[in-house]
Amino acid sequence: MDFDWTDQETAFRDRLRALLADTLPDDWERFSQHGPASPALTRYAESFCGTLAEQGLLIPHWPVELGGQGLDPWHQTILAEEMWIAGEPRGGQYMNVNWIGPTLIRYGSPDQQARYLPPIAEGKALWCQGFSEPGSGSDLASLRTRAERDGDQYRVTGQKIWTSYAGLADTCFLVCRTSDDRKRGISILLVPMDTPGITVRQIPSLIGEGDIHEVFFDDVIVPVTARLGDEGQAWEIIGYSLTNERLGIPRYALARAALDRAVSILKAQDEFDGEAVKIEAAHCAALTEAARMASYAIVDRRAKGEAIGAESSSARFATVMAERRVCEFIVEYLPEALADAHPYLKMHHQRGIVAGIAAGAAEIQLNIIATDVLKLPREPR
Amino acid sequence: MDLSLTDDQVAILDAIDTLTRPYAGASLHEAGFALPDAQLDRDLAEGGFLDIGFDPDLGAVSAALVVERLARLPQTVEAAASALIRPLLGGDLPRPLCLVEEGRTTRPIRFLREGATVLLVGPSGVSTFTATAAQVRPEPEALYGYPMATLLTVPAERTLHAIPASEVLIRWRIALAAEAAGLLAAALDITVAHVTDRQQFGRPLATFQALRHRLAQAQVRANGVRWLALKAAATLDPGDAALAALHAQESARATVYDFHQFFGAMGVTLEHPLHLWTYRLKALVGDLRGRGGQGLAAAEALWG
Ligand SMILES: Cc1cc2nc3c(=O)[nH]c(=O)nc-3n(C[C@H](O)[C@H](O)[C@H](O)COP(=O)(O)OP(=O)(O)OC[C@H]3O[C@@H](n4cnc5c(N)ncnc54)[C@H](O)[C@@H]3O)c2cc1C
Repeated sequence: MDFDWTDQETAFRDRLRALLADTLPDDWERFSQHGPASPALTRYAESFCGTLAEQGLLIPHWPVELGGQGLDPWHQTILAEEMWIAGEPRGGQYMNVNWIGPTLIRYGSPDQQARYLPPIAEGKALWCQGFSEPGSGSDLASLRTRAERDGDQYRVTGQKIWTSYAGLADTCFLVCRTSDDRKRGISILLVPMDTPGITVRQIPSLIGEGDIHEVFFDDVIVPVTARLGDEGQAWEIIGYSLTNERLGIPRYALARAALDRAVSILKAQDEFDGEAVKIEAAHCAALTEAARMASYAIVDRRAKGEAIGAESSSARFATVMAERRVCEFIVEYLPEALADAHPYLKMHHQRGIVAGIAAGAAEIQLNIIATDVLKLPREPR
Repeated sequence: MDLSLTDDQVAILDAIDTLTRPYAGASLHEAGFALPDAQLDRDLAEGGFLDIGFDPDLGAVSAALVVERLARLPQTVEAAASALIRPLLGGDLPRPLCLVEEGRTTRPIRFLREGATVLLVGPSGVSTFTATAAQVRPEPEALYGYPMATLLTVPAERTLHAIPASEVLIRWRIALAAEAAGLLAAALDITVAHVTDRQQFGRPLATFQALRHRLAQAQVRANGVRWLALKAAATLDPGDAALAALHAQESARATVYDFHQFFGAMGVTLEHPLHLWTYRLKALVGDLRGRGGQGLAAAEALWG
């Protein structure tokens, strides 16, 4: 067992930090309070991702043939941590490079790859993912948005909700129903967002403006060539996408950075003096570091080419515990942070509320741990 | 980073499993409150398993792995302090090694008996002495899963060790966390087995989500404690050690009553061995001034 970073990994992290310091604008911390999906951050992300692409830092974990450098999951983790600690200046593009791109590489037709991969690799694309619906959240397989086959095209009708980035996205990774079979009746369509019949409505939210949306599909015509994989293959493809995104966002890293920042502010104000505040800060750090190590244990296995399953739900739940405790710490001991005195902490707090909900609710993670890690018999349905 | 066990570590743990197999399968009917085992202790000592931390190539991580693995057994032996702290002191001190914090010497002490080495650590340094019968009052009625005794007097005549107290405290915290990780894992395993077997309302208890979620959270905690303990053993950093011990004590507190709860009345009997793990966790919760003590130590190490 070895818990040290290699020299190469340390150099990679240093390089990212230097690039962030050089590239981000002076008022970045205030600016990053615009959520990752806000129009302001989306526009900024285009220039930032262009810079990353020029430096070979946008898709370093992609295969060399496709413009990447084939770097291992440790580098991917370092990249994700540094970007998320910095407030995710890649905006919604983190999703492109982490799983939409890799999924297209695995399942896309040559035409789809030729059309969609280069803009992702250059930092010019913005995707949204149309999974959740008003009636289908945690129970995704119950989704009802319908794609009726009509010759060589589909006619799509239905509604998606909570869709991040939809307001500005150019393409939607749309999951829809092509037959009544619960899981095998679901297919994926890659739909340009300017297709007639698509209407987007923004939903005001706690995490910054422009972040989540409703998307309506009224008789939207999509050619069959826009289908990713076979009809009914969506469940398998989503499963593959998830293996690239099993751990989700490295929230433990920003939570720890926010905690350190909060403590340094409290110290400067002579308010890190009582036992209660110190002990609570330590509890926060124990949880962020436990989540970090649980995540690293999985990255390690990915780096060795092992299949990753339910253990990642354990790391995700650990991350939710850490995120919440740090948010609560800051509210309790540095309440002015939420009133804009410390933009970095406000940014963290805005985003933190999502930890146990987006990309699979915390209780769903617990269900997975119970069934697949602890091997408890299933709940009756 | 490479978080797999080395070949040596795999071999050591396999050898421990082989050695302890007869003990792991022993009948535990009415095992009593603590279940010390002198034969197991001798077997482990003779096999060199408690000396692994002396080997610089194997080091504290391997020692912590041994402690974690042994803590899963129903029997208890003094492994944690011997494996992790004795390497600081030299090998010729008699075991068991009993840890005592200066100023808290009247508290019950795990494994204390005549002939044991008592290590006293605190602001005035690190010292040891061999306990005499007159200094020790056994506590056979103590509600802990370890043999316990109270130290009646601390002799003035002690061997001083020229090592900083801080180093002992770091390793004490790692030992505590590694032991807690094994105890948590074993208590969780046996609880999982029980709720899977036990049927009520025509279905296994394990199919009720209220239990599933609390057990899943216990899994998250046990996993976190294990990793923090191993990382701290690798870095020997005071902050890492304090966070590991804090997470261990907090996790013990958060899970022990749930484990008992899910056994119903069976969990309050001495016929079932659950208490062997949970009432050891209870003993660890009070070490080094409990969560507050670890929290302050962590805050000091992390933020000065
Ligand atoms: C900021 C944000 C961005 C998002 N972006 C996108 C996006 O881009 N695209 C997209 O498709 N979706 C997106 N989502 C939606 C997200 O995937 C869903 O919110 C999530 O899957 C949960 O679904 P739901 O909100 O309908 O909650 P529900 O399924 O209604 O669940 C509500 C709560 O009930 C509990 N619960 C549910 N099921 C169970 C169960 N089986 N056992 C125990 N408890 C349960 C959980 O506590 C859960 O949080 C986003 C959500 C947020 C908050």
